[in-house]
Amino acid sequence: AFLSCHRQYRSRPTHGIGRFKYLLPKEASKKRKEKVQMKAINFGTEYEYGDINIQMTSYDLCLVEHFAQYVHKLCNQLSIRVNESYAMPTKTNELLFLEERGSKMQVDAVLTTHQRVVQISGLSSTFAPIFLEIIQSNQPEGVHLLVKEHTEADFKSRLKSRPELEELLAQMS
Amino acid sequence: PCRAQPKKKKKVDVKREQAQKDRMKKKIKKLEKAAPEMIPIEDFVTPLKYSDSNRVRSLSPLSFEETERRVLLMKRWCLFKQKQDKAEKKAIQTLVEAQQEALKELRLESEELYQAAIRRDEGLFPFERDGPNYTPPLPGYDPPEGKSVDITKVYTQ
Repeated sequence: AFLSCHRQYRSRPTHGIGRFKYLLPKEASKKRKEKVQMKAINFGTEYEYGDINIQMTSYDLCLVEHFAQYVHKLCNQLSIRVNESYAMPTKTNELLFLEERGSKMQVDAVLTTHQRVVQISGLSSTFAPIFLEIIQSNQPEGVHLLVKEHTEADFKSRLKSRPELEELLAQMS
Repeated sequence: PCRAQPKKKKKVDVKREQAQKDRMKKKIKKLEKAAPEMIPIEDFVTPLKYSDSNRVRSLSPLSFEETERRVLLMKRWCLFKQKQDKAEKKAIQTLVEAQQEALKELRLESEELYQAAIRRDEGLFPFERDGPNYTPPLPGYDPPEGKSVDITKVYTQ
């Protein structure tokens, strides 16, 4: 079998005939450091809120997922810009209760707490209470809603802890 | 008083300390170069016990009337949901229009109050609300004593 020829033929007019990669859209490099958060500008008269996190917590995974999807769709319909829609790591709690006759702690149940976050920006001050009203009226049972501004601490809680780095930094200072 | 020994101690200590600090700085630089990783979310990983077994559910074939009934029910449900959604959107629109009208009237009344009303509410966030419950809490209920232990897996880089 003959292999395809990739010789240049620079003197010929057909030089670079098979090139096409320069026409394709540029792929972003995969290895990127996580970007720091952004903050919106406060205009003079009409105020806009900065990055806002809508955090939904519940023991029920499906409810929380569906509610998060609903909130995301609602924001799309109301043309509110959604920065990110991610999930926070799940927390597992083991519940122990004291038996009536005895001093042993009996294992009762293992509950998992799930949390979904929808990050919005560009919410106008006049529309914010209406938006909150809609979300509240559609809140399902058992889902705890928390709306707060995005801080760096929120962002860092998603990252893994680095005990070695922290130890070394503590030793240095 | 002998001088030789204390002098050696000072030099060696200073050198050792500097070497130690340099080593630590190098280690810190190396660790900091690696980008921080996100904690993997256990929700998105299907546990192995659901993928290994070969159990397949065998559905019995439905009768014609049953399929018809289901399709018609689905259509009625879709219509109901569509009406509900449209009513919601209409309600939102009326709310926004009413708000805009009120603000216009307020502007005609006094400019100061209008400016104060337009401003954002600092006390709005953080906003917290518990979802509604299926059943109200029982009055006079004595729960058994116990505690909850946090057993989430801690990931380190």
